[in-house]
Amino acid sequence: MPSLDAISRNLMLDSLKAYAKKKITYDYIREKDAANECPLEVLKEMYDTDKLGVHLLMIPAEYGGVSGGTYDIYRICEQLARIDLGIATSVFATFLGTDPLNVGGTEEQKEKWLKKIAKEKLMVAYAATEPDAGSDLVNLKTRAEHVIKNGKLAGYSITGAKQWISNGGIADLYTVLAMAPGGPSWFLVEKNYEGFSPNHHEDKHGIRLSNTSGLSLDNVFVPVENLIGAQEGKGLLQAQAVFGYTRLMVAAFGLGAGWEALENAIRYSQQRIQAGGPLSDKQGYTHKFLVSHAANLEAARSYIEYVANRLDSGEHGLQTEGAIAKYWATESGNKAAEDAIQALGGYGYTRDFPVEKIKRDIKITCIYEGTSEVMEMTIYRGRWQEHLKTRGEFYSAMAKEMESLHALNPNVGADACALSLKALGTVLEECRINKLTRHQYVTFKLGSLIAASEIAWSFCKTAAADKYSETVKFDKKTYETMARVNAKNTALRTAMEGSALVLSAVDDPAGFAEKINLKEIEKKQKGLLADMDFIASSLKSSFKAR
Amino acid sequence: MKIIVCIKQVPDTTEVKINPETGTLIRTGVPSILNPYDHFALESALNLKKKHPGFTVDVISMGPPQAKAVVQFALALGADEGILLSDAAFAGSDTWATSYALSMAIKKIGKADMIFCGMQAIDGDTAQVGPGIAQQLGLPQVTFCEHIEVEGKTIIAERHIDGGSETVELRAPALFTMIMPKDHPYAYPSFTQIYSASKKKFSIWNAQDIGAESHYLGLKGSPTQVSKIYPPKKETETQFFNVSAAEAAEKIVEIMKKEGFIK
Repeated sequence: MPSLDAISRNLMLDSLKAYAKKKITYDYIREKDAANECPLEVLKEMYDTDKLGVHLLMIPAEYGGVSGGTYDIYRICEQLARIDLGIATSVFATFLGTDPLNVGGTEEQKEKWLKKIAKEKLMVAYAATEPDAGSDLVNLKTRAEHVIKNGKLAGYSITGAKQWISNGGIADLYTVLAMAPGGPSWFLVEKNYEGFSPNHHEDKHGIRLSNTSGLSLDNVFVPVENLIGAQEGKGLLQAQAVFGYTRLMVAAFGLGAGWEALENAIRYSQQRIQAGGPLSDKQGYTHKFLVSHAANLEAARSYIEYVANRLDSGEHGLQTEGAIAKYWATESGNKAAEDAIQALGGYGYTRDFPVEKIKRDIKITCIYEGTSEVMEMTIYRGRWQEHLKTRGEFYSAMAKEMESLHALNPNVGADACALSLKALGTVLEECRINKLTRHQYVTFKLGSLIAASEIAWSFCKTAAADKYSETVKFDKKTYETMARVNAKNTALRTAMEGSALVLSAVDDPAGFAEKINLKEIEKKQKGLLADMDFIASSLKSSFKAR
Repeated sequence: MKIIVCIKQVPDTTEVKINPETGTLIRTGVPSILNPYDHFALESALNLKKKHPGFTVDVISMGPPQAKAVVQFALALGADEGILLSDAAFAGSDTWATSYALSMAIKKIGKADMIFCGMQAIDGDTAQVGPGIAQQLGLPQVTFCEHIEVEGKTIIAERHIDGGSETVELRAPALFTMIMPKDHPYAYPSFTQIYSASKKKFSIWNAQDIGAESHYLGLKGSPTQVSKIYPPKKETETQFFNVSAAEAAEKIVEIMKKEGFIK
């Protein structure tokens, strides 16, 4: 996918910020949140091509869009999440709903529908999930039966129910996954089709500004030209083809909302005086609530950008990478938001301060587009195959890359990362020998450890680069220190949690500790506290109290 | 009519701090924006373009390569063509040298009927470049404009003066500097406008391109030099007395005597 130039991208971000500053104030959001109301007037303006036209980002220029690339869309998604995750979800639903068309649509379908979405500012919904089929789409129950007229296939009659559909009650156009005689297929359903009706707007824990509804389809006639790709049975492939990309966008949500909460806590810590000084000067506060979250979120950013650049350079799929990005960014963001409430104490627990709402909102990022547990499973499956196929070389090669990097730049923690990757390879191999992957718990845990080590690998490389991307707000020393802290933490975690898995089956704990080089990993922890002190002081100067 | 708007990229001064030890600006992490006065000048020019078919608006800026961002922003808002003067030879130019370079570029563009400038930039606050360009080009100038209209061949400029406003009528060519109205809702471009701007004509010109003489450019071509930047010291302090009028009068007399203003 081609990308915009950096100036255009940043101008779009500026326009979005300018619009939000004027129209989407915290008071406004708070009122809508309390009323469980989707701000339709704001969404309409955001889709208004004369005012903003945010939906145009993922429509190619030849169909009236602005041809945003993955990197561009990640940046906008991050900013939307900083504004309000409910509004972000609503915009994302249009992106997602348009995906089956972008990926599998025929030229005629793109020409007709993408142009219509762009020009007529259509809100789109992606209707895949059903009451009994979430990530497990094979159990799809919605049926699309052939409708024959004059001996020819005239269209389909769709019957079934969809659940948890973002924009479900407000969209103009729906891409609906249904089981056709030839297999799962995507269909374009307009809101006024007979027999189609959305259910009530759900009363949710968070993202209450995002409309979420079930859909009922009762013998809805859909003309044959609305079968996406003009071929039955391609639905699951079309859905899977974009998971790498769509999950990256949810990762951007975790990153944006997580940083928004964390920034709130950093700024607050400088104003709140306790026991003779600001909280920002107290290690018990900064190192618990701020430092690790900042390092984790910047690590997430580094990986998101790594995957976005790969997708923009023409690679396809990247499902495992998309899952790693989503898993790490949303879990890190969720934890940062949880701690931001604690960091603000009683104030954080009230609705006068935005962290309470961010915490409620961000939880969904660990659930939709595949739960964190589905991500753990996906990551494990993808990398387990690599481990077997390469006979353990996959992580050895990454470890070697980190050793070489450490020789070039000893400041980013690449040595600790190399140890982590080697230990990970050893844990995987030991799990294979002892047949531990028969246990689902082990496989999920391995997925989690794999994500952590690969994220550390990416962060070390990014921090060691001569030039940082436009998103890095920190100076080189701070950024390198963040990568180092992340690598040190990851190495120790891989050793400890990896051991906990393997030791349930092996008889020689000391021998295993030696195999994963535990002593060296422990030695690498030296200087961790000083590094954390330094990051704490950098955070304070980067995000001053307002 | 052909309108040329001179614009400048400036640090968002609401975010800038001065390092008290070195006296230099701390620019790290400070966003760059279009100078708000120039933004208003640009909007004024674009409003005339909307009202009068056939009017064109070109923008010109001088600065490092990254200043392309404000030119592209102006193109997104509706300007037709953008030019950036960027060359190491321009670095360190004071208001005279900057006026000289911009006037040479305007000569090269040619046939400008109206030149719009912001009254001043929010980083330097000199308000000298606009009048400097007019002087270099030998054009009449109307400063502190709030509103400009064109009727036939007559330009009607409403300018701010102490306690009111003054209306000036004149013929092109002329230069206008625009003030910044309070609480003006500045326009921002839509995604389509931004995308289209990246396809509009944009040129970078160096000193040679505009035929500038090098001894009039940069630090060596600048008659003024900045010797030091420092935050002003807080030398006065306001005291508040929440007392009755009679007590206040007594207090004032007491303080004035103490300070030696009266005996």
